[in-house]
Amino acid sequence: MGTELISNLLEIYTAEDPMAFAHPDGDPWADFREVMRVEWKVDFTYKHVLGKYSKFFIELANHKFLTTECPNCGKVWGIPRPLCSDCMTITKWKELPGTGTMVSYSISNFVPAFMKVETPYVLAMVKMDGADTLFTHQLRNYGDIENIKMNMPVKVAYATEPVVHPMLLMHFEPA
Amino acid sequence: MEILDKERRVYVLGGGISKFAAERTDANMRDWINEATLEALEDSGCKIQDIEHTTTSYFSDHFDKQLKAGAIFHDNIGMCPKPNVRVEGGGGTGGLAIRNAYAYIKAGLCDSMIVIGAENMGRHVPSDVAQQFIALASDTDWEVQVAGFYIAYYALMMNAHMEKYGTTEEQFAKVSVKNHRNAMSNPKAHYPMDITVDDVMNSKMITYPYKLLDNCLLSDGAACIVFATEEWAKKHSTTWEKKPTIEVTGTGCGTDYMRLADRPYPEPGIMHFRGKQEGARQAYEMAGVKDPMKEFDCFEVHDAYSGVELVSYEDLGFCKPGESGKLMDQGVFDIGGELPTNTSGGLIGFGHPVGATGLAQGIEVLRQLRQEVDPVRQVELNNKRGGMDSHGGTGTFCAINIFERRD
Repeated sequence: MGTELISNLLEIYTAEDPMAFAHPDGDPWADFREVMRVEWKVDFTYKHVLGKYSKFFIELANHKFLTTECPNCGKVWGIPRPLCSDCMTITKWKELPGTGTMVSYSISNFVPAFMKVETPYVLAMVKMDGADTLFTHQLRNYGDIENIKMNMPVKVAYATEPVVHPMLLMHFEPA
Repeated sequence: MEILDKERRVYVLGGGISKFAAERTDANMRDWINEATLEALEDSGCKIQDIEHTTTSYFSDHFDKQLKAGAIFHDNIGMCPKPNVRVEGGGGTGGLAIRNAYAYIKAGLCDSMIVIGAENMGRHVPSDVAQQFIALASDTDWEVQVAGFYIAYYALMMNAHMEKYGTTEEQFAKVSVKNHRNAMSNPKAHYPMDITVDDVMNSKMITYPYKLLDNCLLSDGAACIVFATEEWAKKHSTTWEKKPTIEVTGTGCGTDYMRLADRPYPEPGIMHFRGKQEGARQAYEMAGVKDPMKEFDCFEVHDAYSGVELVSYEDLGFCKPGESGKLMDQGVFDIGGELPTNTSGGLIGFGHPVGATGLAQGIEVLRQLRQEVDPVRQVELNNKRGGMDSHGGTGTFCAINIFERRD
């Protein structure tokens, strides 16, 4: 046959017409029902730049929760922005107390492939004290799942074990 | 915004849809485009040689490991060396592509266009990898790294809606029941099913409050639509005089911050689609719609998750904020109800091959207005007007389009 020369060959098969209902006079693609499937492995590593909000991550390592304040309109963004998108003014860094209110959450029993999280895990939307908009992170150390309540006070907690991304230097815990 | 040339109008000549399925192992994206295009050409009575332009509608470069797939779709159907443009807006891609066809034809860049959309969402990768690919359509620096992914985002949006308005899990489970049921008379649907609210409630919990059957589908498939001016259609379409005339009478687009966290808080906050409210306002104004609940005969709504359909009813102006659950209980959106929605089965029952989805919505509205669908799901034509709503992200890109029958 020669197909054994194909190192990534998965299978060769004859497919059925998935639209047979539309083809009462016979399959118009009858000549094209023999199908080959191969494996293709892709593995990339990026050297990603965290841009002008890098200082947020650098200061997380120092147990400081930073955001940005607009010197023109005064808006404090929950997630820092180098440029205030409300008034297009270059912002200033500002430290927040790291406390807030969990205004919504979800509890997941499923996690996408590359995320190393034990399930169930809680994704929280938090209105940070001193900020006008929200911040997104996991709520951990909540004890029993029944303890998770809408509008519960939470605080930023800092990682004590090595992390795979600077964003994971923090998470939320009940305050 | 003012439409200057009111004499130059844009018509929907025909559409074609490939079979939607969990995995089309018989073929790949370019084959599905071929299937859908052949059907669209037959339906519109046009020859590809006469059509002047394509718009390519697909979302992900990851799922098919093929950048610039539009070039392949375009040459596959014999359109070279004619012009092509790609439109991309996540789940809203197809809706935006319809809007693009309207804009290009209205502006006079062409008199005819075929919009070709497809997505390979299938099982070339396992579902946890698929969810990772989709998660990359949220902010990869700030949201993805904390294990944010789409079901979780939508779940916390719905949780906020439930908290504020008292919307119940049973109420949005009814959306899943309706859409799976509607899909039963759609032979191209991925997941037709006769189920009950209990079946939805008892299906596996993925992310509270969403269970497995509250979610839309990862589907393989393609859909294509031919648009043109009347003058072009009279010259090149053999079916123009034979089939009811369907016109694009409204289009709107709205957006919101990529990250839910950045949206103005507390209002409209994280439970409503501000971009959808904005897009609907534009589209209704253009089509002269004052009371959408009474002035549409059918509406395809972006039911990425069952609760999203309820919230969308509110943001599309079918009812006041918080009232959608109650209306769902009353059967208002069932076939035979006041405003039947997702008669095709929607993303939950028909399927969600992203780049094709908005186009498939358009084709459902086209065929409803022509009274060509299976009588089981045919709506009554009181206004001869149908709408479609398509969005990407968590309502990051929203496109609302309106078709009307002219006779």
